[in-house]
Amino acid sequence: MRSWLLCALSCAAMLWASTEPRAAETVYPQVTPGLALQFPRDHGSHPDFRLEWWYLTGWLQTADGQPLGFQVTFFRLRPTLASGNPSAFAPTQLLIAHAAISDPARGRLWSDQRIARAALNLAGAAEGDTNVWLDRWRLTREPSQYHARIEASDFALALTLETTQPMLLNGERGYSRKGPQPQSASYYYSLPQLRVAGSVTRDGRATTVSGLAWLDHEWSSEYLEPRAAGWDWVGLNLDDGSALMAFRIRDRDGRNFWAGGTWRDAAGRTEVLRPEAVQFMPGRRWRSLRTGIEYPVEWTLQAGSQRFELQPLLDDQESDSRATTGAVYWEGAVIANRDGRRLGRGYLELTGYGSPLRLP
Amino acid sequence: MNIHTPLLKCEALRKGYRADRPPILQDINFELAAGDYIAISGDSGVGKSTLLNLLAGLDQPDGGRILLDGLDLGALDDDAMTLLRRQHYGFVFQAFHVLPYLTVLQNVELPLQLLGVDSRQRLERVQQMLAAVGLGDMGTRYPRELSGGEIQRVAIARALVHGPRLLLADEPTGNLDPRTAHGVLQVLREQLAARGGAGILITHSPTVAASADRRYLLDGRSLRQLE
Amino acid sequence: MNHQSVAYWRSALALWRRLALAQLRQQPLRLWLSLLTVAIGVALCTTVWLISSSALLEFSRAGSRLAGDAELSIRGSAAGFAETLYAELARDPAVQIASPMLELDVALADRPGSLHVLGLDLLRAAPLLPSLLPSLLMAPTGQSPLEMLTGDGIRLSAAAARRLQLQAGDELPVLVGEQRVLLAVLGVLPEDAEAASLGIMDIASAQWRLQRLGVLNRIDLRLNADVDAQRFGAQLQSRLPAGVVAVTPETANTRVASATRAYRVNLNLLALVSLLTGSLLLLAAQSLSLLQRRSSLALLRALGMTRRELQWALAGEGAVLGLLGSLIGVLLGQLASAALLAWIDAEFAAAGSIGAQLAQRMLSPHPLIWAGFVLLGTASATLGAWLPAREAARRAPALALKAGDAAVGTEGRHFPVLGAMLLIVGAALAWLPAVAGLPLFGYLSIALLLFGGLLLSPAICGWLLAHAPRSGVAVFDIGLAQLRGSRRQIALNLAAVIVSFSLMIAMAIMVYSFRGSFELWLQQSLPADLQLRTNGNDPRGNDPRGNDTRTLSVNEQRQLAQLPGVARADFIRNTRLLLRAEREPVTLSARDATPERSATALPVLHSVAPPAGAQPVWISEAMQTIYGTQAGDIIELPVGGRTRWFVAGVFRDYGLGGGAIVMPREAYIAASGDHGADQAGLWLTSGADVDAVIAAARTLTWSRGMELLATPELRAGLLRGFDRVFAITYLMEAAAVLIGLAGVALAGAAATAARRGEFGMLRHLGLLRRQILAMLAGEGLLMGAVGMLYGLLLGCGLSLVLVYVVNRQSFNWSIDLAMPWWQLGALCAALLVAATVANLLSARAALGVGALRAVREDW
Repeated sequence: MRSWLLCALSCAAMLWASTEPRAAETVYPQVTPGLALQFPRDHGSHPDFRLEWWYLTGWLQTADGQPLGFQVTFFRLRPTLASGNPSAFAPTQLLIAHAAISDPARGRLWSDQRIARAALNLAGAAEGDTNVWLDRWRLTREPSQYHARIEASDFALALTLETTQPMLLNGERGYSRKGPQPQSASYYYSLPQLRVAGSVTRDGRATTVSGLAWLDHEWSSEYLEPRAAGWDWVGLNLDDGSALMAFRIRDRDGRNFWAGGTWRDAAGRTEVLRPEAVQFMPGRRWRSLRTGIEYPVEWTLQAGSQRFELQPLLDDQESDSRATTGAVYWEGAVIANRDGRRLGRGYLELTGYGSPLRLP
Repeated sequence: MNIHTPLLKCEALRKGYRADRPPILQDINFELAAGDYIAISGDSGVGKSTLLNLLAGLDQPDGGRILLDGLDLGALDDDAMTLLRRQHYGFVFQAFHVLPYLTVLQNVELPLQLLGVDSRQRLERVQQMLAAVGLGDMGTRYPRELSGGEIQRVAIARALVHGPRLLLADEPTGNLDPRTAHGVLQVLREQLAARGGAGILITHSPTVAASADRRYLLDGRSLRQLE
Repeated sequence: MNHQSVAYWRSALALWRRLALAQLRQQPLRLWLSLLTVAIGVALCTTVWLISSSALLEFSRAGSRLAGDAELSIRGSAAGFAETLYAELARDPAVQIASPMLELDVALADRPGSLHVLGLDLLRAAPLLPSLLPSLLMAPTGQSPLEMLTGDGIRLSAAAARRLQLQAGDELPVLVGEQRVLLAVLGVLPEDAEAASLGIMDIASAQWRLQRLGVLNRIDLRLNADVDAQRFGAQLQSRLPAGVVAVTPETANTRVASATRAYRVNLNLLALVSLLTGSLLLLAAQSLSLLQRRSSLALLRALGMTRRELQWALAGEGAVLGLLGSLIGVLLGQLASAALLAWIDAEFAAAGSIGAQLAQRMLSPHPLIWAGFVLLGTASATLGAWLPAREAARRAPALALKAGDAAVGTEGRHFPVLGAMLLIVGAALAWLPAVAGLPLFGYLSIALLLFGGLLLSPAICGWLLAHAPRSGVAVFDIGLAQLRGSRRQIALNLAAVIVSFSLMIAMAIMVYSFRGSFELWLQQSLPADLQLRTNGNDPRGNDPRGNDTRTLSVNEQRQLAQLPGVARADFIRNTRLLLRAEREPVTLSARDATPERSATALPVLHSVAPPAGAQPVWISEAMQTIYGTQAGDIIELPVGGRTRWFVAGVFRDYGLGGGAIVMPREAYIAASGDHGADQAGLWLTSGADVDAVIAAARTLTWSRGMELLATPELRAGLLRGFDRVFAITYLMEAAAVLIGLAGVALAGAAATAARRGEFGMLRHLGLLRRQILAMLAGEGLLMGAVGMLYGLLLGCGLSLVLVYVVNRQSFNWSIDLAMPWWQLGALCAALLVAATVANLLSARAALGVGALRAVREDW
């Protein structure tokens, strides 16, 4: 999801700039290596950057033992058209939020999405610490925990997420490259092994849930090169306390274009994975009846010395966000096995498998 | 006289048009057997046409009964009488009354069409009938292209084409010159006999009346047979 | 059994086809006339319907898809309300989606008129505009939809782009305050996305460019499922500022519909009356034709066709005529409406070729509507044939079969008592009030008067003929006797003429009265020598409210008043006030008015002297009717908060159906702080040249694009528009009368043919051929006179209902009755001449040799 959106936005930004000479063009800050991230300041919003997201995924267990996957995402966008409009509605910042529950009992996702401009405090992303909201959807941070509150059209989430491990700075201490060009990069950190407690409401019925989640926070101004076509990403919370983040970017012919990842073992030793150390090998495929798009839903993943077989909680974890970001993608709960033995659980994201779409 | 059940029987038939005047017909009694051909004559205004209308069920008597094959016409409603007329009656009028906007063939075809005869059979019977009245080659013409005598033959053909049991002819030659009249009467008589129908000829002319088997005189509101 | 009955019906159908078609083939003239009567009826109906349903009548903003499907809408006037209200509502737990809007009529620079602009936050509005979203997202290649949705500039509907002759990439100059603002045209919506002529802007861009920062004037809401919109709206109303209302879509729709409803209902009823005329014509034609064919029909009965079969066959004949006639009529109607629309609109087409565009739309097929009218026409023709068919089938066959039966049937029932009763009830109904803002009882009254009049017409015709003076001239008296003998048939033949003529008379009186009152009103309401308006939103000029963005500043007002040759200037500020959720806004006119001067400055109907210290306002008749406000009342208006005003009088107004209020301008400025003006009346010093003053005003550069007209010119233009609108109705009624006359003529021809023997006898007695023609002309004149007198009587009655009931209740304004004596005289004379000539011509045709041959048969 993340890369696809970024790619589209950066393309649009360039084109927009060329067709709209009168609008004052926004100058975005560059992502540069060697900058030390500071917390809690960098938990908060970075409104000068073009794009930013807080990406929460995880596995839940209901009181009666049913497994559920969930995803809560807040995007912040700074459009190119900073025209100096003093109106409270001036689109200086846009907020987009997605939420989904992967429910095997339902066979597909419960999902919803919202989009709004940051106007009259009805939506926004605060600086200083994590606090993003869009109407009645909100993600906030306190010193050792996050609160996520989502009131979607047919489901709701009220979750508290407690940090159990230090944060994982991806790439070179938070500077994460996305391609051969040094400027196509982002600031990126993850919080694996978040302990979740709260409630999930579906069709008006609330159940208590608990589980394990993963938070990504990433911001950038220029991200992908136009050659990139899609992106596979995985974040795994392993049962022994270790954690893996791995991604690879595909070009238009489906070949590896860039890759990367971070591995932290149970003892807390962190290893940054170089592009050639990460390999995504597709297995079984599943075709969506709604969109006709085919996704590889089972994978074999080689990340450094680690090797995992990924299996989805359910096949149909396709998300259609054409009404907000314009993308159709697969984002779902997966189990990580090795030689048939379960090692952990996490989330897998597959983007750019459909026909080329027009995106925000 | 015939000893069988009569085809048509009138009993004490009475008809008047205005309450303050004596009835135009009073105590009319007569019988008609199948195959009979009679003439009823009388002066103008004695009620000849009225009698014919009563017999055809186009008018209702004030008293008495008319029985066709033992069926009391007075007991029938308009629709039943109309259906009876459609099947068992044939008419020839003094004023011809052929439809001007139909061809000869179409005019003659009408009764068969009303009876729902299918078109192939219909055409066959109409051609036969037209040939029989001597108009075999005039089927496609319109009435306005024919002479009076020819038009009346069309009317006769139409009256007989469906093989009615009773033919009612009201002054059929009233609008024709004597020579033509003779020919028409002959055709009428022959064709009626050929199809085994009974006929009632109403006329004020003794000559015409003479062409029938029996003659009746309508006079002073009663009917009596002439020798 | 089954098989047999199928065979029976098949042959019965074949028989019917033969009889009906052969009969029609033989009588092409009758066939064409019958077809024409139906065709004209249906054509009139179709024309009127298409015109009344065309965009012409809903040019305001009715039917815009941008209304979306909100459950509750908060509306304010152009001045709007603070945007914080939006934030407050968006946070309300009952609200699911709140969509902020700014809806303004923006004055165009460099061209006349204004553009309706909707400022939207499309990110918020999207769920409320499901049908529109795809086309809004259709961005030009290379542009991101998100950027498109929030871009700075305007997107035009296809209609607006055509009118303004702009395309994506162009700039649209508009006037805001004293400034000229350039709006970038970001794109043009596809044709099917939005029919109305309007522009869409991002809310931020609209607030900024149109200088309404911090202000909104509309918020559309979708509520949570468990919230009752009606109750929530009522509860919300108390929290809203003055002049802001919460409306549900139903009430908003009612409001939009009510603006044009009276027009539509009036026109559609007129259309139905034309259909009625058509079916009456067919009824007359059929009954005459059946009378002529009585011996043929009797023969069919004698041969054994039952009554019902005969009746169905004859009604079927009517149905076939109806079907063919309706098909022709629909086609004619389609063409006529296209032509008429183009013509009406020619006057206003300068801004953009709206007329041509409408005409084009009219020419595009409306299969469903066509089918509907064909069905309606066929049904009414079948009905028109049904009654005579019933009578023909009931007729005793014995009588008609008698040789030499030539007597024109005079049997059949008359209903003079029922007719008289209908007239009385109809007259009584005219006194009842309007139902739901429509003069339903008025229409019912007209229908009953017409039907009652028709039922009475044999008796009235008989009476008129019986009392027609004997001239002593043999030729004339024979004609009179002939007419007396066949008065029922004459009444029948004249029915269509009477209906159409009486309606024409009624319309003539109504329109004349209306025009007189309208002209007087124009004089009273436009007293100055010269009128100036900032760009109006209505190219027709009926709406004095200009636009929402361009007003004359105090400085500009001073410059105008100081122009050489200007003696006095009356500056007017027109704004719209929302007084009630379910009603159209009321137009508030702040102008130079005082209790002392009101009688001369306004067409005041009655007034009450205001008590000391009270602030006077004057209200229009519509305001009086719609809101029940009376002179002498105190009303509360949202002018500078909620303020109280004394109603010092009621004035007549033909411009604003939604109601109008006139307020002294000083009082308005004191209450609202708004010093602007959007209209000015200039009085010239004696001897000043109007053109010179206009030229001087044009040297003020800011007056470019504004409307500046000498008052007589403006009045003349408005009157011309008025005449054109009513010309349609005249034209249609004239067509109906002509067809009615053609029917009379054909009946005359048939009767003449049937009376050949009579003429032969008269010729033997020594009458010249031209004397017979004179006799027939006399008969035509007499018939025409009977129809005319009766139609005139009926028409005068109907006109009273139209003037005092239908108009009053439809439009909430009064009209002074005035009789157009000259026009009525001319109409009557035209009818007499036409009837005479028609009868004469048909008689000549019938007496001609060729005609004799054609009608040789005696039926």
